[in-house]
Amino acid sequence: MTIYFDNSATTPVDPRVTERMVPWFTENFGNPSSLHALGRQAREAVEHARGQIATLLGARPREILFTASGSEANNLALLGTIAAGGPGPHHLVTDAIEHPAILETVHALEKQGVEVTILPVDRVGRVAPEDVAQSLRPHTRLVSIMAANNVIGTVQPIAEIARIVHAAGVRFHTDAVQAVGKLPIDLAAEPIDLLSLSAHKLHGPKGVGALYVREGVALAPIIHGGGQERGLRSATENVAGIIGFGLAAELADREMAEDNARLVGLRDHMIAGITAMCPSAYLIGDPLRRLPGHVCLGFAGIEGEAIRLLLALDEAGIAASAGSACSASHGAEPSYILRALGFDPFRARGALRLTLGRFNTAGEVEHVLEVLPKLVVGLRRIATPRP
Amino acid sequence: MSATQTLAARQLPGQNCGVCGYRTCDALAEQLESRPDLIKRCINLSDNRVANPTTPVSEPQAWRREAPKPVFGEALIPASSDTDTLPVSGRDGGPASSWTRSQGRGCARPASEGTLDESPSRPDGMSWRDSLGREFDFYLEHFPEDPGPREIILPHNPMLTREMEIKVGDLMIGRPLGMSCGCPITHCGVAVEVDARTGVIVWCVTGPLAPREKGFKDIGYYIAEGYEGLITQTRTEIKIGMRYFFQPRLCMLQWRHSGLVNYVNRSADGLQVRLEGLWIG
Repeated sequence: MTIYFDNSATTPVDPRVTERMVPWFTENFGNPSSLHALGRQAREAVEHARGQIATLLGARPREILFTASGSEANNLALLGTIAAGGPGPHHLVTDAIEHPAILETVHALEKQGVEVTILPVDRVGRVAPEDVAQSLRPHTRLVSIMAANNVIGTVQPIAEIARIVHAAGVRFHTDAVQAVGKLPIDLAAEPIDLLSLSAHKLHGPKGVGALYVREGVALAPIIHGGGQERGLRSATENVAGIIGFGLAAELADREMAEDNARLVGLRDHMIAGITAMCPSAYLIGDPLRRLPGHVCLGFAGIEGEAIRLLLALDEAGIAASAGSACSASHGAEPSYILRALGFDPFRARGALRLTLGRFNTAGEVEHVLEVLPKLVVGLRRIATPRP
Repeated sequence: MSATQTLAARQLPGQNCGVCGYRTCDALAEQLESRPDLIKRCINLSDNRVANPTTPVSEPQAWRREAPKPVFGEALIPASSDTDTLPVSGRDGGPASSWTRSQGRGCARPASEGTLDESPSRPDGMSWRDSLGREFDFYLEHFPEDPGPREIILPHNPMLTREMEIKVGDLMIGRPLGMSCGCPITHCGVAVEVDARTGVIVWCVTGPLAPREKGFKDIGYYIAEGYEGLITQTRTEIKIGMRYFFQPRLCMLQWRHSGLVNYVNRSADGLQVRLEGLWIG
């Protein structure tokens, strides 16, 4: 039986969500664009799910566009905003620890002539709102700062940044894939123009995401076709996935406080336990302003061997990660996120990420506290000598 | 409750999000009386407000629009519990059983046979198996005079040896990639021989401390062409020209390797060997 502590990579689908989705594969399989009864039922269900997600975010239903992933939502937000802005010059601001779905898109835009500013972060991964203010230029079209970091768990001061950006008349986007369902987001209160989210990070299914587009924000589509989603994202809707997404959002809205309070207790207990038993362990990211179930640790002197810890944990039936699952194929290279935090190339090679979710228990945390320190000691014993 | 603390508690947003570790803002507010520093746990307050909890609330509200009415029932908010005081019990993280190289030393047979201590298992009773449970034939130790295991390597771009002006004594880092010994761990080491003509470097793999403190040259990906070291303990006869499974003693992953023995020499420290044609597993 695997103990799953990789909830930032993906979450297990809540059984209530799975149950809700099944009939939409087998019985109500209509295309929401069809005029017949099956199609109308599908349309109604999709719109209900849109309302559930809008409620979680404090948005209006028509401001939610369904996509196939959080990455697609990020791409649409950035590419679509710049494309809708007409001829340049364009300037775009982001930060150094964004998800590759943002950074790679920014690099692609840069090759097309968009001027780019990548803001630094401090030692815990926070973007300074004053840095954002100073980066704005007359031709800045968009600022994109993530709500919470997927690798280190640090929560950004999004509300402050959004107000600064809004006051300058610039569009503000946040990649909230890690934050939605875990952090309170009230789009009625915050001047956020675009926000990306993904179902599978909140105990929903994979293959469905969404982009919040505030009314009045101009956006150009990046997928052309049948004109679904107000013409901004053509493609037949993933009906079952969207319905699962909707229920997952409703459950998150209803159970967030309970889940968070419990996860913060487990998280802090895990951090305290590991750092007490492994003197070499140090916490990465902001100690308090971090995602509720997010633990990211380094182990002084054996950072480069974090992968061995992962493998050993895996052998012990504990699923964890060294960072973003999206960059696991580059796991031997220094983490660009840790480098941005000021870590040297050696320390930047190793982080152990243990991320808790709704279905983790105190007993599972105790098991990690029993297993992990022994693995760290064992790994240190075979460490190579220095010249 | 003091006036200052009351003000701090009043600044809590009332979102009852649980991110502070308390189920409701009221529950956190109660704790603030005795532990005012807990205000830092509220992610909804700016750093400025946390640092100056007496600052009056003056959030710009002009942008706020009417929020849609919730379509669900009220959130379930059970009674508070203090999640900050979960007990942390001490645990024994002591080292596992140890086994040192000296226990297996001794050359009882002529070098031509190349066999040392053919016991079927290690002196501590453990089997000849790697961390994945796969069998191997011998441990490969590093030469006692070397700072670490000796590897013969070739940068994927051999020109780097000249372009980076690699010389004996240089501290380097790189990762063995590809067909030969693809290992996920970045290696650090010190150059002990350099062939500028072919690009081949012999280095001793070490820990990261010296490169970290003194600087290094990053050769990127490289091919591990061969290992040189000592066999002090084996469970099979070592013959030149034969391929064996072996366990580099200091391999971080403790994965077995395989390689062709193409040099054997008996010494006082053990059987000196060179292994080429390396593969992990």
